[in-house]
Amino acid sequence: MQLVLPPGLSTRRFTRALAAFEGVVGREWVLATDEDRETYLDIYAPGDERAHAPAAAVCPSSTEEVQAIVRLANEYRVPLWPIARGKNFGYGGAAPAMPGTVVLDMTRMNRILEVDAKLGYCIIEPGVGFFDLHDHLARNGIPLWMGIPGNAWGSVIGNALERGFSSSPYGEHCSSLCGLEVVLPTGELVRTGTGAMSNSATWPLFKYGFGPSWDTLFVQSNFGIVTKAGMWLMPEPEATLSMNLRVPRPEDIAWLVDTLTPLRLQRVIEHNVGITSYMGSATLSSQRVEWHEGKGALPDSAVKAIMEKTGAGWWNLSLRLYGLPEVNEAHRALIEKAIAPHPDVRLAVTRWRRGEPHNAAAAPRPSVFPLQIVNWHGGRGGHIAFSPVLPADGARVLEQLARTRQRYAEFGIDYSGTFYICGRHVINVNLMLYNRDDADLTDRTRRLFRTLVTDAAAAGYCEYRTHLTYMDDVARTFDFNDHALLRLNETVKDVLDPNGILAPGKSGIWPRHLRGRRT
Amino acid sequence: MSAARLIAGFFAFALQVAMATHAYGAEPSAVEIGGKAIFRTKCGVCHMAGGTGTFMLERRLGKSQALLEERRDLNAAFIARVVRSGIQSMPRFSRAELPDRELQAVAEYLARNSGGS
Repeated sequence: MQLVLPPGLSTRRFTRALAAFEGVVGREWVLATDEDRETYLDIYAPGDERAHAPAAAVCPSSTEEVQAIVRLANEYRVPLWPIARGKNFGYGGAAPAMPGTVVLDMTRMNRILEVDAKLGYCIIEPGVGFFDLHDHLARNGIPLWMGIPGNAWGSVIGNALERGFSSSPYGEHCSSLCGLEVVLPTGELVRTGTGAMSNSATWPLFKYGFGPSWDTLFVQSNFGIVTKAGMWLMPEPEATLSMNLRVPRPEDIAWLVDTLTPLRLQRVIEHNVGITSYMGSATLSSQRVEWHEGKGALPDSAVKAIMEKTGAGWWNLSLRLYGLPEVNEAHRALIEKAIAPHPDVRLAVTRWRRGEPHNAAAAPRPSVFPLQIVNWHGGRGGHIAFSPVLPADGARVLEQLARTRQRYAEFGIDYSGTFYICGRHVINVNLMLYNRDDADLTDRTRRLFRTLVTDAAAAGYCEYRTHLTYMDDVARTFDFNDHALLRLNETVKDVLDPNGILAPGKSGIWPRHLRGRRT
Repeated sequence: MSAARLIAGFFAFALQVAMATHAYGAEPSAVEIGGKAIFRTKCGVCHMAGGTGTFMLERRLGKSQALLEERRDLNAAFIARVVRSGIQSMPRFSRAELPDRELQAVAEYLARNSGGS
């Protein structure tokens, strides 16, 4: 893949910068061949993946090496795009927002530094993946459970910093972070919370420290590089109880949201509840051609066939109860009473107790099988998701569903939605699947995405996380007082990162000299 | 095969992975680590029984071609190219994630039954 240089850099100066990086990490860990650059492209890009082409990658093995690289990047004016493991699939993978950026790949920083079974936390580096941490806990018989997202190939810290989530009591992964070590854009090292004390005894235990709390400054931002983090883990419960539900009609989503939200707020249900359409089953186990060969969105006949053959409802969800068996049974009774008025709900219950063999109600295990969805259309598959945040209100959720399905139909895209009840709000993940070699399909997908951003913003709904290509679009929807938040973000950016070397364009935040690149 | 059975198969494999030892740390030689061990820890999550890669290979090429470890038609150079470039929906592996010497060991391991590399 042809080299795209960082803006304003000559080939000669860029070559010198790479040589300087080699002086820090060794020649082996500066990856700058055509093939190397290709490995950091977004394999699932909804369009030309070279729109986010990296110039090279540099792979440190320690915080000190990250600091040294950042200082050199300032000296040579080389933009850096930090990645933990680069598995941010559906959002850009390992690729940078701005072409010509050098990827700072922390895959080699994969140490599990501390795990405390008594107080339920770990301190880890960015390269630690969900499989790594799960493996460590299992191998050492440590009775702590992790929140694990659908695609578990990625980094525990990286996922949390992107506000990833899962359906477990510790499923708000960002909320489980406690204590960050951060390399600032100048190369200076800081620790947040009580980690700012050189002999802190509570860094991974107490989030706030004294005075302002800075942790969220480094979430979905380009203000620093997190090189270590404390992460709270869930003590293994005495027992669990799983309740799988399905309902037959699209409009049942309003009833589900209004029925389950009170139970979520009362903490009868302690996790985010994902309510997934029939497409969840279909995309995991089959391809589109098995149901429908025509263009345009799947017809109702195909939807009916999917539900009949896979046994899925129009909506499907799994509730889990964690704790003492007696408490779980009491909560199960409350849930069953709440859902009893619905004549068509189907319920299956599974129980697990500590020490019993693994089953569907036991501790979650990491998997990458959900990536199977990208094969829906065949060919070189890809996916992106538009995920607005709504009030947890059935009527508004139903409106959102109707509007979104209408848009999918207009653009001829198969609707695939999940509504996550997260307490007072609902995150509505709208998945778009495509064959990257089908130019018409990917074009329609891109146009659908931008239409959905506009529709949601008009309704007052923001997106919680987005693909590289749409970061400026989504940032623009935060328009109160003529985009005052973006001005604040970029004021902070210019102070912390005066040379603008860290992740230009991340979350729509551009350094002063590159703001003309905003799309 | 139903999705439920596939997922159950995957979980059985995930347990094997959970019990395996990852090849991280002091970077011993490929010979010491062994292509088999690297394959199982870094590729097996998709390419052993129940994995998403196995599922797709069976769909595309048939059951006899689905499990990479059992294939008798794999060329080491082809494997190396696929790992770095991706194929169909399979993501690419950088040299940070799978250094050249580990990739070579995996490729030679998978090509061992194919009459040379």
